[in-house]
Amino acid sequence: MFLEFVEGPLWYASAAIFIFGVSLRLIEVLTRGMPPDLSAPRGPGWPGALRTLFSRSWTAEGFTRGATFHLVAGYMFHIGLFVLLLFAAPHVVFLEERVLGFGWTPAPHWLFILAADLAFAGLALLWLRRVMHPVMRKISTFDDHAAAILTFIVMFTGCMALLMSHESLRAIHMLTVCLLLIYFPFSRLMHAFTFFLSRGFTGAAMARKGVQA
Amino acid sequence: MSDIAAPSPRLRYRRAFRISVLLLAFVLIVPLVPYGLAATGVQLTNPGADLWREVRQRVQPYEATTQVKDIDGAALINTWGETWREFRSDRLVPIGGGILLGTLGLIAAFYLIRGRIRIEGGRSGELVPRFSVNQRVVHWFAAGLFVILGLTGLVLLYGRYVLIPLLGPEGFSATAAACKEVHNLFGPIFPFAIVGLMVLFGRGNRFRWLDVKWFIKAGGLFGHRIADSGYYNGGQKTWFWMTVLFGLLISISGLVLDFPLFGQGRELMAAAHVVHAVIAVVFIAASLGHIYIGTLGMEGASESMTRGYVDGNWAKEHHNLWYAEMEKAGMVGVDENALEEVRRHDDIDFRGFGSPLPKGGDTGH
Repeated sequence: MFLEFVEGPLWYASAAIFIFGVSLRLIEVLTRGMPPDLSAPRGPGWPGALRTLFSRSWTAEGFTRGATFHLVAGYMFHIGLFVLLLFAAPHVVFLEERVLGFGWTPAPHWLFILAADLAFAGLALLWLRRVMHPVMRKISTFDDHAAAILTFIVMFTGCMALLMSHESLRAIHMLTVCLLLIYFPFSRLMHAFTFFLSRGFTGAAMARKGVQA
Repeated sequence: MSDIAAPSPRLRYRRAFRISVLLLAFVLIVPLVPYGLAATGVQLTNPGADLWREVRQRVQPYEATTQVKDIDGAALINTWGETWREFRSDRLVPIGGGILLGTLGLIAAFYLIRGRIRIEGGRSGELVPRFSVNQRVVHWFAAGLFVILGLTGLVLLYGRYVLIPLLGPEGFSATAAACKEVHNLFGPIFPFAIVGLMVLFGRGNRFRWLDVKWFIKAGGLFGHRIADSGYYNGGQKTWFWMTVLFGLLISISGLVLDFPLFGQGRELMAAAHVVHAVIAVVFIAASLGHIYIGTLGMEGASESMTRGYVDGNWAKEHHNLWYAEMEKAGMVGVDENALEEVRRHDDIDFRGFGSPLPKGGDTGH
């Protein structure tokens, strides 16, 4: 019964909050408006926007030494999570049956294990550094810790339910997923959608000024 | 031919009835014969018993061939499996449980007798940098993995005895399924954590004669005897090398068990399980001492791994030679919020703070 509730009304409610919340936040960002730039543009903004979108995926020269840890652990986590979310067999089945109506070939088991291990290790290392580094500890807020811990819990409960042998374990995982979906639009996890806008805006603004950012 | 009369319907009926009765008697009575014979003490031998006894007792490795494409395909009976099962249920489980509970009892007794080891001179308020950000991140990463793997492993070994009375069979089934998957998924990460510990804590962990003297004085744990110690004392060095050795052995045996895709036979898997389980029990028991001393057992110890700094008096009492080196280098009484200290945290020199040791080794203490 609990599984029916979690995969039924709670899932629909949390998905609705997620879609509505994310849309609202994005509209809020896009309609915020800026004071007009009265200077003569040196060039179009869109090449800079496109360039910066990709160039910020690597640390700028001079910052490599301090950012290597975050770069490596960050990619470990994000790539691992991407493979898990979209190519783990149970997720492919869920998306096909409950969301999209079509599916795709899931990742082989060995790739799933590799992705899961990278994701867990990357997230744990990033959060530990946030807690241990004095500067990062001081500038971290509740949102930073909650996002990391909640994501870890979702992944952990998913790992517990891997055998797909007990409804209770699947229900716990779905419950944590629903909690994450509800929390998502109100948290820094929105960077998953806003980083395009952030990088693009910076690149466009700099390109308009004639600066290669 | 026409003179031979066909049997009458009544005769046919009687014949069929007799045959049916005989068949029924045969089906009902014949299976009872062995019981009857057993009751009378007559021994009936299983005609296949001799064959299977010979199969079970034959010398290994097998010379039989089979078309089955499996490393154990030619094995009709695996006798070593029973040996392994008996070891697990009759020795590993009770002796391992005794080791773990005994260790907990010893620690409790030590705490009741000795109490918490206080900083005798009280806190000086002066901070001495002890472990860097990288060292602490890797330590807690390994510790977190160890706790997850240890707890899930203990559920797999002792769950049926401890958890079934609490959770019932269905509850334990779900718990065990969850713990098995978590243990198998987090296991492959553990070797990397061990390698990280080796890299970041290896320097300064060579055993010296100083450490022998430290052991003779029991590390100064009893009474007020001061045991000289450098950056790491003898106990810490022992724990470090135990972690490296046990960690690598448990990782290798765990990977053999977790990925049976490379031709591992039953015997290799059983042997890997024995190694894995025995080392795990000893490892967990030893870790209880490490956790105790680092938290409840010794005032001021936990700060080294949470803040990265220790109190000056704590350093003087427990690592006096290292304290002297730090004092000489002007690193006693630092301000952890000072820009210089904060910048040092960003230093990705993997050696971390440590003692200001000359390159190539420690100062020879």
